[in-house]
Amino acid sequence: MSIDISNLTVTYGAENVISGLSLAIPEGSFFTLLGPSGCGKTTLLRTIAGFVKASGGSISFSGRDVTKLPPHRRDIGMVFQDYALFPDKTVFQNVAYGLHARGERGESVARKVGEALERVGLGHLGSRHPAALSGGQRQRVALARAMVIKPQVLLMDEPLSNLDAKLRIQIRETITELQREANITTVFVTHDQEEALSMSNLIGVMNRGAVEQLGTPQEIYARPRTGYVADFVGAANRLPVRLRPAEAPLVEASLGDVAIFATDAMAAPAPEGLLILRPEDLKISAAPQEALQSMPATVRGRQYLGSKTSYRLDLGEALQVVAELHGPGHDGFAPGDRVSLGIDSALARVIAA
Amino acid sequence: MSADSIRSPWFWLTALALALLALFVLYPLLSIVGGSFSGEGPSGWAQLVSTAKYREAVLNTLILASSVTVICTLIGVPLAYVTARYSFRGKALIALLPLITLVIPEVIAAQTWLMMLGNNGLITKFLREFGIRLPSFYGWFGLITSMSFIYYTYVYIGTVAAIGKFDVQLEEAAQSLGTPPGRARLKVMLPVILPAILASALLVFTMTVGNFAISIILSHGMPLLSVATYQAAVSEGTTSITMQSTLASVSVLIVMSVLFLNRWIVSRGRYEIVQGRGARPVPLEGLRGLMVAAPAGLVVAISLLPLVTIALGAFTKARGPVMQWGTWTFENLERVFVTAPGPLLNSLLYAGIATFISIAFSAVVSYLVVKKPNVLTTWVDYISAIPLALSGTVLGVGLLAAFNGGWLPLTGTSAIIVMAYVVRRMPFGMRNAQATLHNIPNSIEEASISLGSPPVRTFFRVVLPIMLPAVASATILTWTTTVAELSASILVYSGGRETLPIQIFRLIDSGLMAYASAYGLVLVAVILIPVILANRLFGIDVFSSK
Repeated sequence: MSIDISNLTVTYGAENVISGLSLAIPEGSFFTLLGPSGCGKTTLLRTIAGFVKASGGSISFSGRDVTKLPPHRRDIGMVFQDYALFPDKTVFQNVAYGLHARGERGESVARKVGEALERVGLGHLGSRHPAALSGGQRQRVALARAMVIKPQVLLMDEPLSNLDAKLRIQIRETITELQREANITTVFVTHDQEEALSMSNLIGVMNRGAVEQLGTPQEIYARPRTGYVADFVGAANRLPVRLRPAEAPLVEASLGDVAIFATDAMAAPAPEGLLILRPEDLKISAAPQEALQSMPATVRGRQYLGSKTSYRLDLGEALQVVAELHGPGHDGFAPGDRVSLGIDSALARVIAA
Repeated sequence: MSADSIRSPWFWLTALALALLALFVLYPLLSIVGGSFSGEGPSGWAQLVSTAKYREAVLNTLILASSVTVICTLIGVPLAYVTARYSFRGKALIALLPLITLVIPEVIAAQTWLMMLGNNGLITKFLREFGIRLPSFYGWFGLITSMSFIYYTYVYIGTVAAIGKFDVQLEEAAQSLGTPPGRARLKVMLPVILPAILASALLVFTMTVGNFAISIILSHGMPLLSVATYQAAVSEGTTSITMQSTLASVSVLIVMSVLFLNRWIVSRGRYEIVQGRGARPVPLEGLRGLMVAAPAGLVVAISLLPLVTIALGAFTKARGPVMQWGTWTFENLERVFVTAPGPLLNSLLYAGIATFISIAFSAVVSYLVVKKPNVLTTWVDYISAIPLALSGTVLGVGLLAAFNGGWLPLTGTSAIIVMAYVVRRMPFGMRNAQATLHNIPNSIEEASISLGSPPVRTFFRVVLPIMLPAVASATILTWTTTVAELSASILVYSGGRETLPIQIFRLIDSGLMAYASAYGLVLVAVILIPVILANRLFGIDVFSSK
C-alpha cells in the first residue's frame, strides 16, 4: 500500500500547522518523519491516521482517497508513545480487540493472537494485565495489537521514547524485523536521529510543517541539503563563506583571510554559501598533514568522552569549530595548544546559505 | 462552528444535556430571581429591608456562619496536622472516624444533640441532679456546637490532603538555610497549605449558610435565613412566591460571593509543588503521645456521639416525648419496618432512581466536556456547577416556582422529589467523573478507533470499563448523600411521599425522639451498609475520591 499526500494543509485555529505538503511513500517502505518537537511530524502522522482533519489537500492509500474517511475505517495499525493498552483488559484481550472489532470470533482469533504474541516473544503472558508488564513488554503488546489485524498502513508515534536506552535498541530490531516480514508500509515518527538512521529506508526531515529533505539515511547524513538538516541529523559546524568558482566539483570558500576548497553542493552558483563541516571529518595535528588542506587553530576547550575527545577550536576572528578525534591518543591536545586543523575537500560541503 | 461538529452524535448529545440543564437548573433559578420582583404590593426586596425579622435573619446567618467557620478551622487544622505528621496510639481510628461523620445525616446529628443536651436531654438531666444548669441548647449555643462538630470534617480533609502534597524537602531546605525546625515549618509549610485551608473554610461557611436541618431544629424562634425561607415557602404556598424567592435570592447572592472569593484565593495562592517527598510521621510516645491523642480522640468521640445516641434511642421505651432511658424495646423498629414502612420504601425508591439518573448523566456529560469539547460543552460545564451554589432550601423553592402548574406541572408528584435529588447531587458526580476522565489518556480511545472500533462503540467498550471503579464509588457516594437529603425534598414532597429524613424531621418536631431514633438508625444503616459492602467486597474506598 503506497501513501500519497498531495498539497495537504492542516489548521489549528487560525494557525497553519502544515501548509501545502506533498509526499509519496512507496509501498512496503519504512518511512520515518524526523524532526524536533513542534515541527508538525506528529500532526502529519495523525492526519494520515484520520484523527486530525485535513483542511485542504488529499491523502490516498494506493490511489484510494481516504481524506474524508473516519479513522476506524482506514484499516490502519497504530502504536502510541504511551502504549495506550486497555488497562482493564488482559494482554490477550488487548491483542484480540481489533480482530473482534472486525467481527472475527472463536478459533481464528485465538490462533492469530497466539501467533502475534509468540512473534514478539510474549506467548506466555496472554493472561496478564498491562499493569503487570514492564515498559518493553507493554510496547511489544502494543506492537502485536497493531500488527495482528494486518493493517494496510502501520503508524508509529515515537513508540520508543519511553523506554530505556538498551531496550530501545532491542525493540528497534523487533520492529524492523516485523515490518520487513509483513512488508507493511510504515510511517514512524521520532525526534531521535539514531532511530531514524538505523531503522528506515526513507527519511523525511521535517521543519516548521514542511518536509525539508527527503532521502535514504545515507543521503540525509552524508549529503544534507540545508543547514537545518545538517545540524539536526548528526552535528555540524556551519560557517558562512564567500565563494569563488573552482574546478568542478569543487568551489573555493573563504573564511575570513583563509580559503579552502570544498565540494559544491549548491543547486545554483551563488556568491555566498554555508560551509558544512562534520566534527568527525576534521583532523587535528601538531603540524600540517599532507593530502589535507590545513588551517592554523588554537584549542580553546575540550571534553573527554571516553571513546573520543571533542575539541573546541578557535580559527581566529571569532570563528569557532568543533572537532572530534577518535583512535589512540585522541585526548592528546590541551587548551592553549596551537594546532593544525586538517580538512578533506571531499568531506567539506558548501550548501546554499 | 464547522459542519462536521453538527453532524457528530456528540454534538446532539451535548445539546440535549444543555436543554435538560436549562430546564432543571437555569429555569428554577430564574424563577426565583423573577419571583422576588413579582407579586402585589411592595417588592420582596423592599419588604426584606423594612422587616426587622428578615434583616435579623440575614445578620444572624452571617454571624453564625462566621463563628462556625472559625471554630471548624481551629479544630480541623490542628487535627489534620497531628494525624499527618505524627503517629501515636489510636491514630488510625482518629484519622478515619471523622470521615464517618460525613455520612451521618444532619437531621440525625441535630436530633442526637438534643437528646443529649436538650431541655430533656440525658446529659442535661444528669447534670441537673448535681445542681448544674447548662445554658439552653436552643439558639446560638446549640447551633454553633452541633454545626462545628460536623463541618470541621471538611477543614480536616482539605488540610490533610494539602499537607500530604507538601514537599518535606522544602522544610529541610529552610532548615539548611538556618531556620530552626518549628519556625521552618511555620514559615514554609503554612503559606503553601493556606489556600487549601481557606478554601475548605469557605466551604464550611457556605454549608452553614445553606444548612436547614440543624437550623430549623435548634434555632427555636431565632431568625435564620434558611429557616425564614422555608417558613415563607410554607406560608406563602405556590400562589404568591415573593418573599420565599427574595430570601432564596439573598442566600444565592451570599454563596455566590463566597465562591468567587474562593476562586480568587485559589487563583492567587496556587503554588506548584514540583516534586514531592511526603513527610514520614514522627512517632510520639508516652506523655506527649497522650497529650496529642487525648484531645484528638475527644473531638472524634464527640462527633461520633450521634451514632451511639440513636442506637440507644432506637431501642429505648418512650411514652410520648418522654424517653424512659434504661428500659428496652423493639417497638420503635417494628414501626419502621412493619407499621409504617412507607418512608423507608419511598427513600429507597426515590434515592435509587435519582442516584442512577445522576450517575448516568454525569458519566455521559463529563465525557462530552472532557473528551469531545465543542461550542456548547463550556456552557454545559458552567451550568452543571450552578447547583453547588444553591442550598437545598433554595433549590426546593426554585423547583416549586418553576414546576407548579404551567406546561410541566410536577408539583405533588414523586418526580419532583427525584428531580430535587438529582439536581442537588449531580455536580459531585460530575466532578468525580471529570477527574477520572482526565486521567484516561486520549491515546487509549484512539488506539481502539485505530483498531476499527467506531467512536460510540469505543466509549462503551473501552472508556466505560476503565471508568467503572470510579463510577461505582461515585454511585455509592451519591447514594449516601441523596438518601439523607432533607432540605429540598421537604419543600417539594406531598402527603404519602415522606422519605426517611422527612419522617425523622416530623417526628423530632413532634418530640417523638424514640421513633425518630429508630428511623434514624435505619437511615444510617441504609447509608453505611453500601459503603462497607463496597469496601469489603470490591475494595472500593469511597472516601478517596471525596
